[in-house]
Amino acid sequence: MRECRIVSQKFDIYQSHKLDIAKEHGAYSSLKDAFALSPHEIVEIIKLSGLRGKGGGGAPAGAKWALMPQDGAQTSYLAVNCDESEPGTFKDRQIISKDPHLLLEGIIITCYAIRSHSAYIYIRGEYSQFAKILQEAIDEAYGAGILGADVMGLGYGVDVTIHRGAGAYICGEKSAMLESLEGKRGHPRLKPKRPEPEWYFGNPTLVNNVETITTVPYIIKHGANGYRAYGTEQSPGTLLFAISGHINKPGVYEAEFGTPMMEYINRYGGGIRGGKKLKAVIPGGASTAVLTAAEAECAILDYEHMRTIGSALGTGGMIVMDEDTDMVEALKNLLEFYHHESCGQCTPCREGTGWSDTLLGRVLDGKGSNEDIDKILELAKTMDGQTICVFAPAVAIVIRAFIGKFRDEFEARVNR
Amino acid sequence: MSQIEIVIDEKKYAAQEGLLLIDLLIREGLKVPYFCYHEALGADGNCRMCMVEIEGQKRPQIACDTNIKEGMIVRTKGQMIESVRRRILELELINHPVDCAICDQAGECKLQDFYMDYGLYDSKIDQAEKVHHKKHIDLGSNVMLDQERCVLCARCTRFTSDITKTHELGIVGRGDHARVTTMPGKKLDNPYAMNVVDLCPVGALTSKDFRFAQRVWFLTSTPSVCHGCAKGCNIFIDHNKEKYKDERIYRFRPRPNADVNGYFICDAGRLSYKELQENRQLEMLIDGMVSKEDEAVACYHKLVADGGKIVILADANLYTEELEAIQKYAHILGAQLCAPLESYRDESFGDDWLKSSQRAANAKGVEKLGIAQILSTDPVALLINFNHPDGSKIKAQKSIHLQTHQMEGKADLVLPLAPFSESSGTLVNEDGIEQFCPKAIWRNEPLMSAIEWIDLLQGGER
Repeated sequence: MRECRIVSQKFDIYQSHKLDIAKEHGAYSSLKDAFALSPHEIVEIIKLSGLRGKGGGGAPAGAKWALMPQDGAQTSYLAVNCDESEPGTFKDRQIISKDPHLLLEGIIITCYAIRSHSAYIYIRGEYSQFAKILQEAIDEAYGAGILGADVMGLGYGVDVTIHRGAGAYICGEKSAMLESLEGKRGHPRLKPKRPEPEWYFGNPTLVNNVETITTVPYIIKHGANGYRAYGTEQSPGTLLFAISGHINKPGVYEAEFGTPMMEYINRYGGGIRGGKKLKAVIPGGASTAVLTAAEAECAILDYEHMRTIGSALGTGGMIVMDEDTDMVEALKNLLEFYHHESCGQCTPCREGTGWSDTLLGRVLDGKGSNEDIDKILELAKTMDGQTICVFAPAVAIVIRAFIGKFRDEFEARVNR
Repeated sequence: MSQIEIVIDEKKYAAQEGLLLIDLLIREGLKVPYFCYHEALGADGNCRMCMVEIEGQKRPQIACDTNIKEGMIVRTKGQMIESVRRRILELELINHPVDCAICDQAGECKLQDFYMDYGLYDSKIDQAEKVHHKKHIDLGSNVMLDQERCVLCARCTRFTSDITKTHELGIVGRGDHARVTTMPGKKLDNPYAMNVVDLCPVGALTSKDFRFAQRVWFLTSTPSVCHGCAKGCNIFIDHNKEKYKDERIYRFRPRPNADVNGYFICDAGRLSYKELQENRQLEMLIDGMVSKEDEAVACYHKLVADGGKIVILADANLYTEELEAIQKYAHILGAQLCAPLESYRDESFGDDWLKSSQRAANAKGVEKLGIAQILSTDPVALLINFNHPDGSKIKAQKSIHLQTHQMEGKADLVLPLAPFSESSGTLVNEDGIEQFCPKAIWRNEPLMSAIEWIDLLQGGER
């Protein structure tokens, strides 16, 4: 297992969020290389690098960039998604507080590549402290002529604006985020019939996760193959995996795709707390299917492998649970979260999240029946694939995995 | 867009390519449940009820967000799709109070209809576990809100944001705590506000004016045209006759007509039904004294026979057929006929949508018939006024008023006239569109229209 520092290169440097310290360590050094290329060439490099969206979906970033109009006739925007609200996921906040200048560097290159002059960073409302650090970095960059009408004298203007959300998980869904950015309720939009960019006030807009954008300067500096030196063929590069739960060293550690899960948990996470046995791992933020200890043993951290074992890599935010964990309580915790966060637009999700939470509450209180457990599973079926966004299908995945893999624990509650 | 063929439930249909599937289903009268879609508001995709099976698609799709394509094979029936609808409907009803017995929407409620079509299961949730919201909130503009009955289809909020652009209504809260409301301290306040009552597919928004007045299944709907202004908005007159009593109108509802009013009417027009039931002229009066028909007819002939210059005034709300009859009759009498339209103008009423400043329903009809509009100020011997509001402005030695409503000023003879709801005829709206209104209301003792009066006065039989 190799040490790799693509996004987290300056994380351990004292005060790396300050411009002069960041510059000492190479910040903004890729801009000259980038502006020597044409926007089209940059998009091609990103395509070749195989960079995948790091917000959870893992869709190829280059293809998404290529959807942006190439003629520059219409005003276009970059919207950076930092509404990081997925339980177990806390990587983006590391970037904006430890190395905000690398993000800004990525934003400038991306804006140039898609011929946009304005970028918005949509930050989760609860991240007030981190937003402050990022704002200071933006102010410093403006002061130094890095942002503004003429980026470092390179003849291209980029403006960056922070928008803080009001505390809604659903605003991390890209179209809901844009609705919110437009000043409306954060409700996901109906999906387009064919591939097209997102739209912000009717203008084509690229939405990418913070980490995706932050990876861009490295790719420009080291080329597509430099990035492909890490990871697997289909999942090239690295990801900022986060680890939390019953482990000794919770935190955010960068690792390349293809790393075995247990190796990661033991080396970076420092093993299970108190020498206990592993019971389960939620691999990529709350909305991915939970893995049993046996499944985790042979899990490999890349998109393809996680899919073959019936789960998903998601955001790479692992939640580790030891042998003492009550899986009924754990699912209740998650369902309370989804119940609270469903935006309330589509019927199956609005009512399904609430009712499944209520039914599981019955089971937890010892008033439930086997019928209630089956009803929760039926609700999962109703919530799967029948809504505008993937919120409800994610809840369905969570319910099915928990009850499917640990049904005896749920039934024990009923028969008590 | 070209004409294409698609297959729905094993039957072929021709339609424009790109048309919304739900529009085709509605047009062809195929059963599809939906709450949030509305022809005037477009697709929102939130209720998820209009699920259909499309061959080649892994999952059921919502018809309101599907554009039809050549060769598409759609199924709206079958066990799979019906179980999907049933499960989603069950969720709609989880937090619904199921208080149909005291709900004014009962009988015209989509939740009830769809439950009868697809539901029919027993409730699996205790009343105590339901999410509770506020009930009977007075939103203003005669609209009452019950948040618990709401299915959050957002039709009302989309109406105020997209159609009236007044933005009074919005949804606050998330998940099953989401609810429709106004901004704190603000009211629903626009001239079209009551349309949200019709838009609401369930009993969440009800009309303060209509609710508890009548169960909807007792009502008969007759198509008609609003007489509130020259726009000629299409309406339904909802009326009911209780035993022994005279038939009553309980409400006006908009009747969709793309060429005139779309799907809506203004609140002023909607509430104008009240005028048809208040302050009505029902008796024949000779010098203010109630009299019988033969006396009144004799009196009429005497007044006409006394000779001198006769002026006939005609109301521009009368049907074209009535105006024609009056025109002919004036010719026979050698009387001067006029129907001043200026009297009906109200600049404070009009707007750039459905409300016209010309408040006479058949103003265009008057113009088309070439009826004079100049009100003569010379004294005349006899005035015969067919319900025109300016009758008292004419200096006449004697006057005969045929009127639907009691009017100020004295007349030597007053004859009751049937209003538009109690007769039938054609109107020409301000855009020149001719529209027919059938007779809606049958009184126990029917009143006569202008045509019938003229027939009788010319010696015909009643």
